[in-house]
Amino acid sequence: MLLLIAWRNLWRHRARSLAIIFSVVLGIWAGAFLVALYYGMGRDRMRIAIREEVSHVQVHHPGFADDQDAAFHFSVDSLAVAVKEMPDLRAYSCRCVAQAMLANASGSNGVVLYGVDPEAENATRGLREMVVQGGYLTNEKSHQLMVGLKLARKMKLNAGAKVVLTFLDAQQNIVSAAFRITGIFESSNAMLDERNVYVRYDELSTLMGIEGRAHEVALLLTTDAAVPATVEALQQKLPQLLIEDWKAISPETAYIISAVGGSSRIILIIIFLALGFGIVNTMLMAVLERTREIGMLMAVGMGKGRVFAMVLLETLLLTLAGTPIGVGLSLISVSSLSKTGIDLSQVAGNMMKGFGLEAVLYPWLPVQQLGEIIVIVIITALIAAIFPAWKALTLKPAEAIRR
Amino acid sequence: MQDTVIDVHDVSKIYNPDTIPVPAVNNVHLHIRRGEFTTLVGPSGSGKTTLLNIIGGLDAPTHGRVEVNGVNITALRPNALIAFRLRNIGFVFQSFNLIPVLTARENVEFIMLLQGATREQRHRRVTELMRAVGLTDKMDARPAELSGGQQQRVAVARALASKPQFVLADEPTANLDSASASNLLDIMDKLNREENITFIFSTHDARVIERARRVITLVDGRVSSDTDRVETAHRHG
Repeated sequence: MLLLIAWRNLWRHRARSLAIIFSVVLGIWAGAFLVALYYGMGRDRMRIAIREEVSHVQVHHPGFADDQDAAFHFSVDSLAVAVKEMPDLRAYSCRCVAQAMLANASGSNGVVLYGVDPEAENATRGLREMVVQGGYLTNEKSHQLMVGLKLARKMKLNAGAKVVLTFLDAQQNIVSAAFRITGIFESSNAMLDERNVYVRYDELSTLMGIEGRAHEVALLLTTDAAVPATVEALQQKLPQLLIEDWKAISPETAYIISAVGGSSRIILIIIFLALGFGIVNTMLMAVLERTREIGMLMAVGMGKGRVFAMVLLETLLLTLAGTPIGVGLSLISVSSLSKTGIDLSQVAGNMMKGFGLEAVLYPWLPVQQLGEIIVIVIITALIAAIFPAWKALTLKPAEAIRR
Repeated sequence: MQDTVIDVHDVSKIYNPDTIPVPAVNNVHLHIRRGEFTTLVGPSGSGKTTLLNIIGGLDAPTHGRVEVNGVNITALRPNALIAFRLRNIGFVFQSFNLIPVLTARENVEFIMLLQGATREQRHRRVTELMRAVGLTDKMDARPAELSGGQQQRVAVARALASKPQFVLADEPTANLDSASASNLLDIMDKLNREENITFIFSTHDARVIERARRVITLVDGRVSSDTDRVETAHRHG
């Protein structure tokens, strides 16, 4: 009967009930959409970090990991044997790395110089697809160099221009060599476009005096889930080397992803606080309008617990009425936008690149997060109903009936 | 001799005792016996409703006590008092105060649901009561679909649903036209005579006073007269 009264009470003031239902729908939709944006951003950042920057797993000499000293290198041949045995391997790329100074007539800039095998690097990092001017590294010409778009703009570089790279070899001797820019690339991370430059592995390893050896090997796997097992297997095979997953190599990316949950929760709290105040206001109005009726119920013997439960039940029913609509709307909008994406190139394209993100965002709403939002909405509604329900309890039947 | 249902012992009620004290009821002693048809009368502000509320456990006296069937209800804790009201006291209010979202049948049934009566018990009792108040054809009507008189008859049925020790009716005819008031009084009179149900009214209405068999007059919160018309009639032969 309590349920029946609560349900019928909802429809006494349709407009008011619909206002609460609408608030719940809006709250769930806004919450879910924002969470989806955050999670989509986190997922995009992780995808970009793995696909374009650090790959799933990297191998270094333990000394190199500490201070990027070119003296810490290892044999490529023995490592290649171990790497190729990894069951989930999609591609790998051996690199030699040097901290270098790039100079031309307009100035100089510090860069990280990578010596890469063009095909292996493309398979691992997709560098060829990032070329926006000129061409990709080839084995036909010598002393080719690829620079990022941001660096090219900063130093007024074009394809075909000549620059001088100065760096230390493995014996700490200063080496200078002239390179011609064969192509300019643009990745999703503007900071890396300013910092990373690429030449052929065979040329750089010769210049550094480490032929057949490398400073870094990056492995791209078939799935993200294979990372822990691959790290463990490689570490067993190569105990003298440091095997790290993408989270260890790019802790800022791991932090961004872990912060997504916390940030989205803060926004959810703000949204649901607003929803909660709306419910408090509306339910309080409902209780105050029914003062005489509630007084009568208490007079004829309806216990305080039941009166309290009645107000809570009304709020719960309103919330439950709005929840499926809000969830449906969220699923429709998120699933549609997760295919088309939200193009922010006109309003925040450069800013997105600054954060290592693409200008098109693809919202993503994990089922668990949607479940959390639904639970939070219901809890918010019940908490918000406590004050009006308590207000109902404070009514004195004798006074309430006469109002 | 009829047994006593309500004992009012030296009851006083003062509103705002700490600021501007307003005495509403002063040292009232009353004994209501089972089966009485009693009215509390008096001018506005004489304390009728306050006394009725104290007897019904809706308000607490500043001094004194009320016993219902030997239970001192003024000493009961709030939850115990609510439970006591549910099982022992029926209320009829001036403004009917039915639950607008429930039908007439559900309004009557509601009290029994609170008491934990079974579906069969509820069905039997509701049918019986709705027949007694002459509303078997309006069982499924909501209050808004009933006239004032019909709503008050449903309220009487609701008051009786819990089989209370007595029914308190605060100005039950105040919002009714003459025909409806008369009809309502006929029903309550019949229930009193045939089923020995105790009714206590507070009223200004001469039609109610006329029918009452005991009339207690309050003036300034005190009992100024208490006339048992049955005894008087016996005495006068």
